[in-house]
Amino acid sequence: MSAAADVDLRVFADYDRDVREEADVVVVGSGPCGAVVAKELTDAGLRVLLLEEGPPFTPADFELDGPLSMARTLREGGLRTTLGTVMPTMQAICLGGGSLVNSAICVRAPEFVLDRWCADFDLAQTRRADLDPHYDAVGEFLGISPTPENVLGPRNLLFKKGCDALGISSEPISRNVRGCRGSGECFTGCRSRAKQSMDISYLPAALHGGAKVLSSVRVEEVLVEGRRAVGVVGRVVAPFTGRPGFAVQVRARRVVLAAGCMATPVLLQKSGDLANGSGQVGANLQFHPGVAMLGVFPDPVHPQFGATQGYQSLHYLREGFKLETLWAPPAVLAVRMPGSGFALKQRLARVPRSAVWDAIASCNRSLGSVRARSRGLDPKLTWSLHEDDVPILAKALHTLARIFFAAGAQTVLPGVHGIPEELCSLAEAEVLRTRKFRASEFLTGGNHAFCSTRMHGDASRGVVDEFGRCHDLEGLYIADTGIFPQCPSVNPMWTGMALAHRLAGRIAAGG
Amino acid sequence: MWFWLLGAFALGYAIARVTFGYPRPARRFDSLLRSEVAFLAGAGEATFPAGGDIPASGLDADLPAYTDRLLTAAHPRMRLLMHLLFFLVEHATIVFPAPGRRGWRRFSALDAEQRAAVLEGWRTSRLFPRRLVFASLRAILTMGYFAFPPVLRQLGLAPYEIPTPVCEADLWTPRIGASRSSVRRSRADLTPPSDGTPIPLEAPLHPAYRKGAR
Repeated sequence: MSAAADVDLRVFADYDRDVREEADVVVVGSGPCGAVVAKELTDAGLRVLLLEEGPPFTPADFELDGPLSMARTLREGGLRTTLGTVMPTMQAICLGGGSLVNSAICVRAPEFVLDRWCADFDLAQTRRADLDPHYDAVGEFLGISPTPENVLGPRNLLFKKGCDALGISSEPISRNVRGCRGSGECFTGCRSRAKQSMDISYLPAALHGGAKVLSSVRVEEVLVEGRRAVGVVGRVVAPFTGRPGFAVQVRARRVVLAAGCMATPVLLQKSGDLANGSGQVGANLQFHPGVAMLGVFPDPVHPQFGATQGYQSLHYLREGFKLETLWAPPAVLAVRMPGSGFALKQRLARVPRSAVWDAIASCNRSLGSVRARSRGLDPKLTWSLHEDDVPILAKALHTLARIFFAAGAQTVLPGVHGIPEELCSLAEAEVLRTRKFRASEFLTGGNHAFCSTRMHGDASRGVVDEFGRCHDLEGLYIADTGIFPQCPSVNPMWTGMALAHRLAGRIAAGG
Repeated sequence: MWFWLLGAFALGYAIARVTFGYPRPARRFDSLLRSEVAFLAGAGEATFPAGGDIPASGLDADLPAYTDRLLTAAHPRMRLLMHLLFFLVEHATIVFPAPGRRGWRRFSALDAEQRAAVLEGWRTSRLFPRRLVFASLRAILTMGYFAFPPVLRQLGLAPYEIPTPVCEADLWTPRIGASRSSVRRSRADLTPPSDGTPIPLEAPLHPAYRKGAR
């Protein structure tokens, strides 16, 4: 028997008729949360069927050019933006979800954040001590560990140098990576197969355990009988074009939605405004709006070498921001360079001497919504950066400027309208601290999204309970970052997976 | 009467401005119109003129070809928005004319200095939507410029050749579009996983980015 016959994975070219399946549990979405649920429930002996709209990518399918890679692996070609405060945001469409194209950052939610969640959202068992066993289980499976020093490269080490000089605490980022070679290609797919994305970690384990994985299936509706979810229906769709084909129906005793914070609410709304007794489905959308700064150093930084995001500072978490190093495909970074013509070329020529560092902000006052469009399943995202959250971004950028200059940078490019495009000294960077900015003056990106199906102990104020069980319907669960009641202040993947791990345990135990 | 005559003249001018006088492209494009090819070539040259710190120009980088690939891969709604973006900047010279003689001509018909001045006007506008339009256009052009291998090679940012280990998932995952029966690998094809040896800076480049590759 060939290795391929050992597992039940279906890809687009394999479908030749309508699909009808039955399972104990159907999981919608193969990202980090859905993959954990699928594997854990398979291990528990349940018949699990996982549906994913995107195709599996092999390394031969990876596109080295950043924008073209984004067009292939991200929904809406990677050009999704919010309305209100216009901000690009992303959601993957591929087997393994965002884990295929993220930088593998794993950070446990801070204790003070989880304490606040419990206090403000009537949660009893979501403190750090409650989640630590689940963080540990996921961490052990994926080999989550700090980025080794030999693949940090100058770009990450300069950040450490700047932080050390200022007495700002910093640390190598823990990642779900084994054998990183420092290619800096996390965002376009790891050709070294070092990043433990779901397609090469949790999903193979689930498949070996007996799970069925159907890729290229778009779920369009959750089936309900009485007050119980009993399955899903959808269509086989062609990779990239989304052209619909054969019908798919899966009946299951339990339905776990892990389609992501921006897709799960749309699916519920398209299913007849399901599970929305609280009125919270699609509401409360939050992001970690991010700002980035580029610093130019006198000597080559060789920014293409090193872990994509290898160093971070959690020093300012309580003040509302986290600092990180960053590398992305050169084309994507070059987009941030100001100017045009020869001045632009002059700046682009300095990229080899440049490092990019970013900040993600906790903006709990900045809220938005996810709404289904009249046609299709792409969400309409509305979100506005609250005036009172703007100073957080300004302070984060000012802090990055301080770190850059402490590390020896000659100049920094803040990417903020209304101030000089380049700041050549700490004195010039003071403008970031003293000026009153408007939201539209920042170039922000929102890569982590939360809260669109939030958990709440009170069924009238949340969509699910703290274990991910829907308040309104039996047999319906949500396992993605939409259930976070507020932003976690740090990268959300590990927390989402820990919550998914806990949910799987509950389902396996009959809960 | 005068009103109708004026209206007919305006309509005729609009049709002529949008439709006529664009050169036929040297090759076929999947998504770009003839007018868009001319616009992108002009905008690319204004954004990345020949010479300077990076010798390659926007013309050398064939930005219309890259944009055509990007458009073809893009989501339909985004594709529409990009078409509208190109149309807007091409014809907004009626409202925001270039300095100098006949600055109201369509963008692609302006001379190089006028094009640069028009783009600078969008970039430095006090109106956020105009800056946003500029940022979107320049993002597309910059992405195309950085997809040009000589640019990446000069900057030392071209991707390396990286041997890819064969892992278990590769035993059952076909390339996109192929069926699972096309996968011919067996367990004997598995290779050791990455050992974490850092990639040396002088490592060979990916074949698509080596000199002479394009």
